[in-house]
Amino acid sequence: MPRRPFLRAFVSPAALCAIAFVAAMAAVLQFSVRAYIPGSLDPGGFTLVNFAALLKPLYGRVFLDTVWICFITAVCTLVIGYPVAYALVRAKGAFLKSAMLIVVVTPLFLGEVVRTYSWIVVLGNNGFVNTVLLKLGMIERPLQLMFTSFGVVLALVHVTLPVMVIMLAAALSHIDPDYERAAESLGAGPIRAFLSVTLPLSTPGIVAGVTTAFAWTFSAFATPQLIGGGQVNMVSNLVYQLGFASFNFPFAASLSVVGLVLAFGMIALLRAGLRPLEAVGPQ
Amino acid sequence: MKNRAETSGIEQKSAPPAGGQGFVRLEGVSKRFGDVVALHEATLDVRRGEILTLLGPSGGGKTTLLNLVAGFLLPDSGAIHIAGQPVTEVPPYRREIGVLFQNYALFPHMSVAANVAYGLRMRRLPRPEIARKVAETLALVRLVGLENRTPRQLSGGQQQRVALARALAISPKVLLLDEPFSALDKNLRGSMQLELKEIQRKLGVTTIFVTHDQSEALSLSDRIVVLSEGRIRQVGTPGEIYRRPTERFVASFVGDVNVLRARLEEVDGEAAQIAIGAAKLAVPAGTLRGCAPGAPVELFIRPEQLRLAETGDETACEGVVSAHSYQGGHVDLHLASEAAVSGRILMRWPGTEAIARWPVGTRIAVACAGTEAVAFPASPS
Ligand SMILES: Nc1ncnc2c1ncn2[C@@H]1O[C@H](COP(=O)(O)OP(=O)(O)O)[C@@H](O)[C@H]1O
Ligand SMILES: [Mg+2]
Repeated sequence: MPRRPFLRAFVSPAALCAIAFVAAMAAVLQFSVRAYIPGSLDPGGFTLVNFAALLKPLYGRVFLDTVWICFITAVCTLVIGYPVAYALVRAKGAFLKSAMLIVVVTPLFLGEVVRTYSWIVVLGNNGFVNTVLLKLGMIERPLQLMFTSFGVVLALVHVTLPVMVIMLAAALSHIDPDYERAAESLGAGPIRAFLSVTLPLSTPGIVAGVTTAFAWTFSAFATPQLIGGGQVNMVSNLVYQLGFASFNFPFAASLSVVGLVLAFGMIALLRAGLRPLEAVGPQ
Repeated sequence: MKNRAETSGIEQKSAPPAGGQGFVRLEGVSKRFGDVVALHEATLDVRRGEILTLLGPSGGGKTTLLNLVAGFLLPDSGAIHIAGQPVTEVPPYRREIGVLFQNYALFPHMSVAANVAYGLRMRRLPRPEIARKVAETLALVRLVGLENRTPRQLSGGQQQRVALARALAISPKVLLLDEPFSALDKNLRGSMQLELKEIQRKLGVTTIFVTHDQSEALSLSDRIVVLSEGRIRQVGTPGEIYRRPTERFVASFVGDVNVLRARLEEVDGEAAQIAIGAAKLAVPAGTLRGCAPGAPVELFIRPEQLRLAETGDETACEGVVSAHSYQGGHVDLHLASEAAVSGRILMRWPGTEAIARWPVGTRIAVACAGTEAVAFPASPS
């Protein structure tokens, strides 16, 4: 009898998925080095022209914007998500805990399009925010919230928050509450106990959360598409425009490849930057 | 150096601490968690400089009491005083207490020295003074040379010492220890107990120690508080608790005990006369209130208070040897006997001769060797 009888049965689906992903990636890679034949969906011969074209400032701008939006989103999500995760972990009573968890993960259950449209209802010129502010007489003309990076980041934070909270909560739940009690018994008030003990011990969770949030936002499409409305473009929106508006598949593919490399590069950079922090946490 | 191990018991009673009140004082302190009464109306005085042990089975309320003194929990009712100050509403970080946690709770991201210095840094002491105190405290717990290690690089016993040093560095008013040795193996536990006692004597710090291990409580404490089901059952010196338990629960929880069927003969003031077989025995009357002469009672008697009946002795009961168990220094002799409530009697012999002298199956007559026994009304069953 084999030592792990179910190993093959359990691994096969994963292996099939992996093969499919690799095949898709290979296709994208292959397209990225083929020539574009205007008016045809089939690519031409091998060339590096697509990558050379990406050097135009227009595209560099989109890459920079994307990184910036991802960064701001990750930071905002961390700042908002940390207290939520802390409350979630330290809350007493199973009911309160589940209630908080459900509220936190709800954004994940809404489809991306539904969620984004609801933000349009909130942020639009005749939307909730502007109507309320106008009625209260706090503003005279509607604020421009749609088609701005602010609106995009707001909506991205909304959908990234559950991921951040869950990752931080996982890290925080591994920190024995006795550490905080020990700190308090030694004379540290709650805030100092938190800053000197809990926060440093949670850095592995912060690193994991920020990296995941970054990767999560980097691939955002519908949110910048609908809320940015062409004014705020991220890499995926550009890919969409090139691929499905201009039908320039090779160029779209090369853009995707560069985007992917950039995402990996940024995440590696992020991890390297956060490493000193991580050394502070429990090994 | 004064040695208070010898002044336990009676002498301490005749010399109460200044003011006549405990250094740590609980007055009618209760704490419930939902429907569970974790601590009920606890009133307790802890004397300055003593080691007081909270002893009781798991779930008895020991940790709850400790957490109330530390300030990690607020009582539902009652008041707590430390050094004459009411602290019921004072948060833990202003109570100046040292706590040794069961799992040590050493900060894993700090070195040994930083752990010990933590409480001093929180008090914003000048750096040289912190360094001096850290070195002093590490020397006290014999950890010199390990300053720069992290807790993970230490053995369990070493981590324990760091935790003790960290708690002691702040010169706490009260030292609280919650089952600190339960994770250590038996040998290490014994030496840590001794060491704790030595350090405690040297510093004279008032100490509350929690354990569910009765032998640890007996060997370590100046006084013992027996707690079960959230109630204080008895407070006394180890000797009092062991020799003169005032409750059936205390008698059976602390130490090995034989429960024999006996009869109340008469009550004469503070003493009661008990008949067991042909033997007569004087026991305290306090635990037999409400019992009429002639009523059946249960005699709680320690193994070492029983011996073999010799010719001329009054035999208390008889039993048949059912097993020996060799304990190194002595042999436990198990007897099957009708006279015991559980059907079994435990006797103790020094050395190993008992195994050869009374093989399994031998019938033995048992007599009472001493007068240290207590009796309780027979349980209704
Ligand atoms: N935080 C808590 N929530 C609910 N019940 C608790 C809590 N702490 C203790 N208890 C209950 O209170 C009782 C006493 O517990 P504890 O003080 O921990 O006992 P011990 O330390 O003697 O084992 C137990 O029945 C326990 O289940
Ligand atoms: Mg406990």
